[in-house]
Amino acid sequence: MDFLTYLLTGIFLTPFAEMIEMPDLFFQALWDGFVSGTLYGLIALGFVLIFKASGVFNFAQPILVVLAALALISFYKMGIPAWLSVVCVLIMFYALAWLIERLILRKLVNTDGNILFMSTVALSFIIIGAAQWIFGGRPSSMIHKELGFPTGSLEWPMFGGGVYFEMLDISAAVVAVLLILTLGLFFSRTKIGRGLRAVADDPQAALSVGISLNQIWVIVWFVAGVVALVTGIFWGARSDVSFALQIIGFKALPVLIIGGFTSVPGAIVGGLMIGLGEKIFEIYWGPLLGSGVEGWFAYVIALGFLLFKPQGLFGDKIIERV
Amino acid sequence: MVNEQKKVMMEVKNIKLRFGGVVAIQNVSFDIQEGEIRAIIGPNGAGKSSMLNVINGFYHPQEGEIWFNGEKRPSMEPYEVAKTGIARTFQNIALFKGMTTIENVMTGRQLKMHKNFFWQLLRYGPAIEEEVQHRKRCEEIIDFLEINNIRKTPVGSLPYGLQKRVELARALAMEPELLLLDEPMAGMNVEEKQDMSRFIVDVNEEFGTTIALIEHDMGVVMDLADRVVVLNYGELLADGTPKEVQADQAVIDAYLGVPH
Amino acid sequence: MYFRETGQFKSKYKEELAAFPIFEDKIGIAIAAIIAFILIPLFGLPGLSYEFTISAVMIPVVIFTITTLGLNILLGFAGQISLGTAAFMGVGAYSCYKIMTIFPDLNALICVVLSGVVTAFVGTIFGLPSLRIKGFYLMVATLAAQFFLEWAFIRIPWLYNYNISGAIEVPYKEMFGIVLTGAKSEPLTRYFVCLAFLVVLTWLASNVIRGRIGRSWMMIRDMDIAAELIGVRPLTAKLSAFAFSSFYIGISGALMVFFWLGAAEVESFDINHSFTYLFMVIIGGLGSITGSYFGAILVWVVPVILKEYGKSVFGIDAFIMENFTTILLGVVMLTILIVEPHGLARIWQIAKQKLRLWPFPY
Repeated sequence: MDFLTYLLTGIFLTPFAEMIEMPDLFFQALWDGFVSGTLYGLIALGFVLIFKASGVFNFAQPILVVLAALALISFYKMGIPAWLSVVCVLIMFYALAWLIERLILRKLVNTDGNILFMSTVALSFIIIGAAQWIFGGRPSSMIHKELGFPTGSLEWPMFGGGVYFEMLDISAAVVAVLLILTLGLFFSRTKIGRGLRAVADDPQAALSVGISLNQIWVIVWFVAGVVALVTGIFWGARSDVSFALQIIGFKALPVLIIGGFTSVPGAIVGGLMIGLGEKIFEIYWGPLLGSGVEGWFAYVIALGFLLFKPQGLFGDKIIERV
Repeated sequence: MVNEQKKVMMEVKNIKLRFGGVVAIQNVSFDIQEGEIRAIIGPNGAGKSSMLNVINGFYHPQEGEIWFNGEKRPSMEPYEVAKTGIARTFQNIALFKGMTTIENVMTGRQLKMHKNFFWQLLRYGPAIEEEVQHRKRCEEIIDFLEINNIRKTPVGSLPYGLQKRVELARALAMEPELLLLDEPMAGMNVEEKQDMSRFIVDVNEEFGTTIALIEHDMGVVMDLADRVVVLNYGELLADGTPKEVQADQAVIDAYLGVPH
Repeated sequence: MYFRETGQFKSKYKEELAAFPIFEDKIGIAIAAIIAFILIPLFGLPGLSYEFTISAVMIPVVIFTITTLGLNILLGFAGQISLGTAAFMGVGAYSCYKIMTIFPDLNALICVVLSGVVTAFVGTIFGLPSLRIKGFYLMVATLAAQFFLEWAFIRIPWLYNYNISGAIEVPYKEMFGIVLTGAKSEPLTRYFVCLAFLVVLTWLASNVIRGRIGRSWMMIRDMDIAAELIGVRPLTAKLSAFAFSSFYIGISGALMVFFWLGAAEVESFDINHSFTYLFMVIIGGLGSITGSYFGAILVWVVPVILKEYGKSVFGIDAFIMENFTTILLGVVMLTILIVEPHGLARIWQIAKQKLRLWPFPY
């Protein structure tokens, strides 16, 4: 009986009481959740773009984030100025996209989604091995200061306490939102964007109207690299840069489930939902379960969606035909 | 006509099927009598395949009743319908691509095999006896349909006509009371069509299986079918013997168009 | 490998339904058995120390073959993808530990089998989403299992008996006076235990997949709608596949900790291991029992031997070899996907087919 009371108050009473008692803490949690939400949304967007354009579920996206961050730091350590290092990383990603297209995708045209997916898993093993070999396995810190992003924090006093806005988080949110908008416009308004959607729909039909499949793929993978770089910079700045960064890439999967695999707004809304949800759940309900729930909260939410709304919030409805 | 004395095997009454706002079947009723070959014809999008899917339990109609062997059938899932003795083939071949011909045919015996998991684990005694006994039956069906030579070929590599035949074999292995054929002759050349027609008639006569088939080739339908149902835009247009249907003005209009 | 099957006629269906209908296959199996049961235990592998051969090559490869078999049943035969393999092995390991603690007098082998049963149960629960979803969606659902279970292994101290280290400590167990587990056990004993499990489990798997239940899995894999219209109930077929597969994976997890590692922490069950097992299945060949052997051997033995030779013969740093083998694994996997998506088993089959017709291919 005692245990039940403890459980019920723990679930239904204490968390809300805490929210009301310490609104500043609550707002802090909201803000933190919002920032990670935008980054989740951004990386989910990387998945969605590739999925829409080539039907490939790109499992290498998480490792691309690590690769981007590590490469950036290494270029800087070699004595290249910070912003020039960014350019170098971009060039590297373009080369990588070209190689991937040339060596892998071109050979796997017209194979089914599962095989393409497996090949990206294999690709991520190659990248892990190569990145560890070249950059070493030790964690290092991000060069966001050198890139000119502001540090420090703004304090906004309220309710007797205060909410801290890290300058870095603000810039992360701003850059993420800008990038999302740019990509959205790029893919809906430009010729390349149209070509991309055509390829996604039916590669052969797209070929027959003169769209270059190879060029599209290179562009898409390059864009995925850009998204990885941005995520890598900001997420790397919030923690250390190491292979553990992969985990954030995996977080994009539940985001995709919630938003729907093919929807750009879905990726963003899903990202925010997961970001906010897991932060709040961790702070207010986590202690009840022994904390560390951030690791699986997103997946369990996704599971709920899978069971009751498999197409996600914005996805195309799945219709089965005989 | 001797139809009057025959027992009605299946009767669909006032079936209405909607997908969202689209009405696929509107108030269709007809019956299938024991031992006959019943054709369902109509232009593309007339709701023929949807009708089969309703009988199969794959779609659940919003309104209407299905009577099978004199009993009103409750809403069923496809695997439950299969247990009542209804088998079917598909318009776009739905063979198990990873298996050989004989394995595909063996899948039709699935419902007739009952030995439990532990016998299966050991594959000894009753389990292997059962396997052998059903294998024998499948070989007979394979002989019947003259596909012995492709017994061990993976079905994915077979030509289209043969795949259709394997699919028929699989359905026959279920020893159904009612066999539904969804365009069994689509995409075949004349010779293949003749073979297939011969098999359908043989199945009907030798096994006494009741058959309902969807077909576009009018010549085939007129030769094979005892009675014909015509659907158009989800509605019942005509129902009767091939001769009656052929002469029906509404059917001619639907197929050839009405002068404006 | 030069043989003909011509002239081997079968006069009974029963003979044709046997596991190895062709005489030469029986010889092949016999040779493999002699190598695994007699030659390696007697002489080890050339160029490697005997101790190393048994403990670092043979025991793990036998255990991973069981894992691969289990995952192959699910992915290759029933067509249901899972990325939670490593976590399910964890379930096997932790439940074996709990069973041993609760029933201290129970035979170690029975504990292992029981832990397989527990894992089958857990696997079935996490297989429930497969009734509604498939493909990538199911994959994400199994990822939920992976991360949730990993969390549970850390946060529920009851699972590791409140040890301060947070790890499983393998107790001392014996049978017929022979030490089976714990620090004092002989590697060779543990090797034979694992091998015995592998042989029995392979036999059972090959029985099940050729019978009614195995066929229902393959029907669901190849064309789920047609399967349902033939009378296969998706619920039964899918969940039985999850249960059967998890049984194997659970056993392999228990064996891994109690007969190989001797202690285990959460890191042994993380997502990267899940990927490795997935690779074993794909490289070996989806839907092939022989392939499961090939896959486990290639993915485990080759890197281990490379690392060992790299160190002892060429003096290359272990860190570099580690990365090199990771890259190699990725490259092999990609090559297989591009050349022959059905894996080594298929390449083997094609080679056999060609040999059979040689030297007159037409």
